[in-house]
Amino acid sequence: MSSTPPPPGPPQKPAAKALNCPQCGAAITLRALGQAASVVCESCHCILDAKTPQLEILQTFSKAIAADRPLIPLGTRGKLRGADYEVIGFQRRGTVIDGIRYFWHEYVLFNPYKGFRYLTEYQGHWNDVTVCKEQPIVETRVSIPLVANYLGEVYRHFQTSDATTDFVLGEFPWQVAVGEQARANDYVHPPRLLSMERTAGETTWSLGEYTSGRDIWSAFRLPGSPPAPQGVFANQPSPSGGGARQLWAFFALLALLLLGVIIVTDFSESKTPVFSASYHLNAGEPKGEASFVTEPFELTGRTSSVEVSTNANVSNSWIYLNYALINTDTEQAWDFGREVSYYYGYDSDGSWHEGSQSDSVVVPSVPAGHYYLRIEPEVAPNHGFLAYTVDVRRDVPVPVFYGIGFVALLLPPLLYGWRSWTFERARWSESDHPPMQLQKSEEDD
Amino acid sequence: MLRKLYLLYGLLIVGGSAFAQYRGWSLNSMNQVHNVPRSVRDNPGSYRSVYNSYHHYTGGK
Repeated sequence: MSSTPPPPGPPQKPAAKALNCPQCGAAITLRALGQAASVVCESCHCILDAKTPQLEILQTFSKAIAADRPLIPLGTRGKLRGADYEVIGFQRRGTVIDGIRYFWHEYVLFNPYKGFRYLTEYQGHWNDVTVCKEQPIVETRVSIPLVANYLGEVYRHFQTSDATTDFVLGEFPWQVAVGEQARANDYVHPPRLLSMERTAGETTWSLGEYTSGRDIWSAFRLPGSPPAPQGVFANQPSPSGGGARQLWAFFALLALLLLGVIIVTDFSESKTPVFSASYHLNAGEPKGEASFVTEPFELTGRTSSVEVSTNANVSNSWIYLNYALINTDTEQAWDFGREVSYYYGYDSDGSWHEGSQSDSVVVPSVPAGHYYLRIEPEVAPNHGFLAYTVDVRRDVPVPVFYGIGFVALLLPPLLYGWRSWTFERARWSESDHPPMQLQKSEEDD
Repeated sequence: MLRKLYLLYGLLIVGGSAFAQYRGWSLNSMNQVHNVPRSVRDNPGSYRSVYNSYHHYTGGK
């Protein structure tokens, strides 16, 4: 092993070797330069031993097998992972799960310097596959595979199935046979897929990486566009890209920042009482002009909020107050009406009460200046004596904006997390380990 | 990219909430009246509130 490898020269186009099929006489092209173990006649589909000079027949078919046309024609060359590869083999494999037969396609690629690699395709989902150089370590529980460790990454078991080869074309680095069966165990760590295939003779591990159909089409300069992917594949990367967790971390930071702002602004809000007065009303008194004005008061500081609070000793009655906060400097008024009502009683359900004896309202963005309140009270016609107080405070907190801000902060990670959750749910519902609710509903059925 | 966008969005939300608080915004809709006559102070009945036609609740359970 001390010999120095020859310096890598410019890649040369492999020379194809032409032979004839001993079964039907059709021309057979060998592209793998003697490295293929078997080759399939494209005419009669019989499988030949590529290691023998006369191409001995390994398998023939008495009846026509269901042919399949590869999406990437044999002999197509393309650049993958920085190296030139030629498509030399194609096979269709299938498995039966819950009585339903699923098919996928595998392409054998060859580069004289790099060797073999594979492309798999299932319903528009592509994987770029290489054979593992090391043996992954599998952890099992009661002989059920759980995870596989490979090159420092943990792969979760996805599915165990029996794969059957039912159509082959071109060259293969092993002695391929139609009807060949293998027990396959798939483990996922998106975008990678670790597969173990066990036949009677050997166990092979391979590592696939999810690749978009567009990249394959671009690599092999194929005409048209690749078939659109259907559903969610085992190792398909989540569109959220694992960003949901980071988004939640950012949300926690921003929520803390919002809490800090709430604390700071709550301390800095002056909440200054600027006016307070008590009034009374008696419906039994002779009727006259009900409206009156308060003493003037001054609002200082920046443009800010003003809170007008009303407390009335209403009992199974109401009082309604037409308010106008009038600026004597600018002749501008804020007009609003407030009701204070409180009812209580007892019935077959027990005691009840509704309403309140107090009310407050925030008048937004009131500039500094001299103000007074015009108040026009109304009470029920049969009401007796009623006392009420009016209080005005300057620069009060309005927590609703912080509530809206909190919900606005929460929405993106919530939606993103939901998207990620539904994607993972769709992924694992196709596995041997479906989400609990799915499993339960299936059991109920 | 998404994290940066969310961070920017979040800072705008926090800053907007603080600004709304600072400026004393409120969700209450208030009818603003301009050019209120100075005589209202001496004759409050001359001012006509827009809420005069309010129908009062007189019920209870």
